[in-house]
Amino acid sequence: MKTDTHQVPQGEGKGRTIVLTLVMAVITVVMFSQGKMPQDPKEMIALVLTLLFANTLFFLLLYTGRTDRYRAIYFSTFAVSLIISFVSHMFEARGSMSLSETKILQCEVPFCHLVIPMTLVPMAITKTIIFPGSLLGKYASIASMFVIWIGATLALGRGFCSWVCFYGGLDDGFSRVLKRPVIRNINPKWIYLPFAVLLLVALTAAVYLSPVYCSWLCPFKAVTEFQAVTSTKILIQTIIFVGLFIGLVIVLPILTKKRTQCAFLCPFGAMQSLTNKINVFDVRIDKEKCVKCKRCIQVCPTLSMSEESLEQGCARITCMKCGKCIDNCPKGAISYHIKGTDIPGKRNAYRLLFLFAAFLFLAIFSSHIIQDGIVRVLKLITTGSMIS
Amino acid sequence: MQGFFLGLSSGLTCVAYCTPVLVPYMLGEGKGIAHNFAALAQFLLGRLAGYLAFAFVAWLINLSVLERLESKGLLIGALYIIFSSFLMIYAFFKTDAPCAARSIGHIAGKIKASLLIPAMAGLLSGIAFCPPFLLAMTHAADKGSLSYSLFFFLMFFIGTSVFFIPMPFIGALRRFQALQIIGKMAAGIVGLYYLYAGIIAVVAGVKGI
Ligand code: SF4
Ligand code: SF4
Repeated sequence: MKTDTHQVPQGEGKGRTIVLTLVMAVITVVMFSQGKMPQDPKEMIALVLTLLFANTLFFLLLYTGRTDRYRAIYFSTFAVSLIISFVSHMFEARGSMSLSETKILQCEVPFCHLVIPMTLVPMAITKTIIFPGSLLGKYASIASMFVIWIGATLALGRGFCSWVCFYGGLDDGFSRVLKRPVIRNINPKWIYLPFAVLLLVALTAAVYLSPVYCSWLCPFKAVTEFQAVTSTKILIQTIIFVGLFIGLVIVLPILTKKRTQCAFLCPFGAMQSLTNKINVFDVRIDKEKCVKCKRCIQVCPTLSMSEESLEQGCARITCMKCGKCIDNCPKGAISYHIKGTDIPGKRNAYRLLFLFAAFLFLAIFSSHIIQDGIVRVLKLITTGSMIS
Repeated sequence: MQGFFLGLSSGLTCVAYCTPVLVPYMLGEGKGIAHNFAALAQFLLGRLAGYLAFAFVAWLINLSVLERLESKGLLIGALYIIFSSFLMIYAFFKTDAPCAARSIGHIAGKIKASLLIPAMAGLLSGIAFCPPFLLAMTHAADKGSLSYSLFFFLMFFIGTSVFFIPMPFIGALRRFQALQIIGKMAAGIVGLYYLYAGIIAVVAGVKGI
């Protein structure tokens, strides 16, 4: 019997955890391998390691009852693998990370979900997608990203930003480097900045029919692909990308222990916050159990917990469903919840449902990227180069 | 489209700074949506008159001063830098911003003809020397022709007006404060764009000397 002060985290029993992990193992074996075993030994090793990694983490998520700790390990591994895999691909395909004018004209730019808020209005007005990417191509095509986005949004709302986004694991990872934050007092008004950015990039994309955010503000250009520097304008853009990446993805997350890029800049995140309204899962606080220790407010990486949240019993609309507040609440007052049901209700069942949906998205979406990342690292170890 | 775009962003600033001041004077409490719409129409007409007058002034400034200057680009660039810096400071770090509409409070106390107040508020907000307006003025003066100046300010008017349309229903907007903050920040980001445009113009101007 657990004492009152150690109510959290409450995991599943051993037997139940094993059965549920076996279910996940079957699904992941089928999805990761896509029904065929790789012939190349490196690919085989990568597949086995990815399966072991995913299922061990799923087991720990269930058994320990801790969500954020194991989610973050998976999520950050995904982000790092993406960079390794993506950059290697770019070097294989083009010989560098920079984009030439020709590739842009040939519509061969890989599509990423951050562009989605800018494509919606022009798509409605002009019936075209204002991005020089391929609609149905093999690598990061527009159609595949839209399908993943719609599915994940319906299932998770802004949970997308803690479970599916392939960049989110970077500032999430850096926000865990220090034990305590160096900068503590952040004005909560900054959580509105992504909405302002969203408003402007959507407007300007509609006016100029071009994805303005990608050309000027995206920090992740610094670690994926950017235009070859051939003019002062492109030089300034590149300085902005690198500056934002260093500031918002590395330095500030370390100093504040917050996900500063996701919480204070990303327009896609702002759009996802709005989808929280229509998603069935939310994060709720049992006001009867809460002792107002404010631990959740301190730890939330997106400033989505406030005193108002404690009064109202729910996280702000910007909540990414990462589970950090749930893991840290000493009274077990916070839980995943299904809208329209009682609080606390069947909190373990709600958590299980949410975790199954979120984990499946994370595992399936990341599987090929993590496998490719492992293959590249093995290549580096055995041949001295990551590219073929 | 730039006028419309700047108008939209400037409209955001108006929502952020001016509407909280205007609302109590423009919209009589409990007088109904029809009355509120009439007040809004007067306000917008006053605003349009103010803008068109300034379109003319911007053209005159260009004709009489800017056209004769050797380093027009340098001056325009410097003005962009100054006004966009103001816009950003007000957007991100200050709670109050200069808005001519604020003086309506005093005027309303002195004038009895209450129906004229919305129109005057409109006119004053149309000729307010707030940072987005000054940026618009600089932009119009930079371009030169009277037709462009008038077109630009008309677009500016349409862009800023969009945000006043929900005003008659203002009581229904529960999240008004959040919208204000978002509006201010969006205006600040537009300031960043003009800062960039200003720096480019100054660099080009210095190279030309
Ligand atoms: S951590 Fe838990 S007990 Fe403390 S304020 Fe938050 S909800 Fe209440
Ligand atoms: S409120 Fe809780 S679940 Fe939501 S983002 Fe903050 S820490 Fe994560």
